[in-house]
Formats: sequence, structure tokens, C-alpha cells
Amino acid sequence: MADRCPTAFDERLISGYLDGELTQAAEQKVRLHLEDCAHCRALLEDLRAIREAAMSTEFSKPDDAQWDERPRGSISFVARGAGWILAAVWAVVVGMYALWEFWTAPASPAERLLVVGGLTALALLFISVLLDRIRTARTDPYREVEK
Amino acid sequence: MTQQRSSPGPVAASPPREATTVILAQQGEEAALDELARSCRQQAYVFALQLTGNPDDALDVAQDAMVRFFRSLGRFDASRPVRPWLLRIVRNLVRDRARRWRVRRTESLEPAEGVLRFEPRDPRPNPETLSTRRELQALVWKCVQDLSPRFREVLILRDYQDLTYAEIAQTLKIPRGTVMSRLHRARRLLREVVHRRPNPTGEVGNG
Repeated sequence: MADRCPTAFDERLISGYLDGELTQAAEQKVRLHLEDCAHCRALLEDLRAIREAAMSTEFSKPDDAQWDERPRGSISFVARGAGWILAAVWAVVVGMYALWEFWTAPASPAERLLVVGGLTALALLFISVLLDRIRTARTDPYREVEK
Repeated sequence: MTQQRSSPGPVAASPPREATTVILAQQGEEAALDELARSCRQQAYVFALQLTGNPDDALDVAQDAMVRFFRSLGRFDASRPVRPWLLRIVRNLVRDRARRWRVRRTESLEPAEGVLRFEPRDPRPNPETLSTRRELQALVWKCVQDLSPRFREVLILRDYQDLTYAEIAQTLKIPRGTVMSRLHRARRLLREVVHRRPNPTGEVGNG
């Protein structure tokens, strides 16, 4: 039997049909196609058997005793948040100081070019990653929580 | 995508009981927090087990997932369903650790034993039917382990976790159309692997 539908039917619709995720019109289209296509009927039956086997599979679960206690209290979370804020402030202050020292210290144009070029590259990378994150976060329904 | 159902919308709503439990938990109600912990940790464990195939790794991931979960529960919008968020935490943790595990797994290519639990849902099952079903379940599960992670995760979310396409899209942060394409590709690959493996049941795989 050929591996693909001989009529070049969009086979992805078979999965959508199996899962009940198609529009009425698309469902009707698949139903009509299945009446004429033995290849897609066989595919659907195989996928259905596999899915039923998967859905009825049960997995072993650990006993309650194996679990750590539920995280309680927020002191450690507050401490961690404060720690990050302090570390960020420290990094900014030290960075500014280092920049100032570099700018006022005697250095050759080549040295200045190397450092400024490297810093500019890092800044561009940081901005591009930041913009990417902002763009994806806008469409993420779970943006407000940790993932 | 016009071929797919337009409803439910791209962001599924939380079931009312779940939303109430989340709100009470956010207010610090101990009973609600315990209920949420009990139900979420089992879901997190099973999904981690399905992704990793190893009970010890799964427990480790699920414990860490629960820490992340409770760390930002206070900021969670209770009108949204919890499961896609929880499963995304688990999936991200598994991805983060995959490289470390890959090195260790080169020693053993076979999935861990005792992962599947064979208990009949039907109170009086026909022994022959039960045996056939178990063999097919075990065969399919072994073949799922052979899929690459990107196909395995979408297939597990649909066929083992029973998530809708919209929920899978939220969990994996991919468009709904991509869910259908990737899922179909995963199913075709799985079917090929099942066909290649020796199968005593005769249901699928004699092609």
C-alpha cells in the first residue's frame, strides 16, 4: 500500500477529524473523502487504535510519603526577590563605575574601539533578546507567572 | 486556520470548581492549597514520567515543578485553566535537564520497567481482551519513547493527557495550526514505528 493518499488529500485533516477539532465543513469534507479512499480509512483506523491504546494507558504514581512537603510561607521567596534586586542594583553601579574609570583613564584609540565595540555588540544582543521576549510575552496567556 | 473549529477560543477558561480552589489557595486557605498540591503534583508527575520515561527523574521534575507552581500562584489569573500552565512548567524543566540525562541514558536505551500500571477499568474484564489491550498499550508506549522530543511531547499532550488543540497550543506556545500538523506527523511516525515492531496483538502493526 502506498505511504501517502493517492489523491493528495490533506492528511492532517484525518488527525483533526479523529480529535473532533475540525469545522463542520472540514469534517464533511473528510467524511466524503473517507467514503472513497481505502488508504485514508486504513490510516484513520490505525490512528484510532493507537490513540485508544494511549488514552487507556495508566501510569504508576508515587505514594504520598514520597512527596516533599508543599512549599509553605513566602519568606524565602521575598528574600530571593530582594536578593535579585540588590544584585541588579550592584551590577548597574559597578558597571557605571567601571565605564567611568575606563572613559577617564588614559587609553589608546584602538583599546577604546575594542571595548566600545564589544560593549555595543553585547548591548545589541541584549536588546534583540529583550524585544523577542516582549513580543512573545504579549501573546502568552500565562505571561504573569513563572514557567 | 479555516479548517479548524473556531470555538473554543484560543484561550480556554478555567472550570468553575478549579477557579474557586485557586482563588481560595491564593487567599492562603490551607485546605485549598492542599487540594491543589495533591491534584497538581500527580498531574505533574505523570506528564514528567511520560516525557522522561524514568520514575526517579519524573519525581525530581514534579517536585521542582510544584515549587515553581506555588512560587507564582499568587500572580496567576484564576480565570485561566491551571493544567496548560502546570504542564508547561514540567515541559520546560524536562527540556532544561535533557542534556544532563542524555549523557546518562547512553548507558541504557530501554525505558524503565514498572512505569505502566495495568489495572482494569472495567470491573469484570474479559481476560483475552485485557491481555490484548495491555500488549497494545505497552507496544504503543515503547514506540512513543522512540519519537523525537518535539513529536513525543505533542503526542503525549493529546493522546495521553487528553488536551484540546487550544490547550496544547498554550502549553507549547505554538499556533493551533502547527499543533495539528505536528501531531499528525507524530502520529504517522508512531504508526511506522509500531508497524516495524513485532506485535502479537494483530490490531495495529501488521501492515
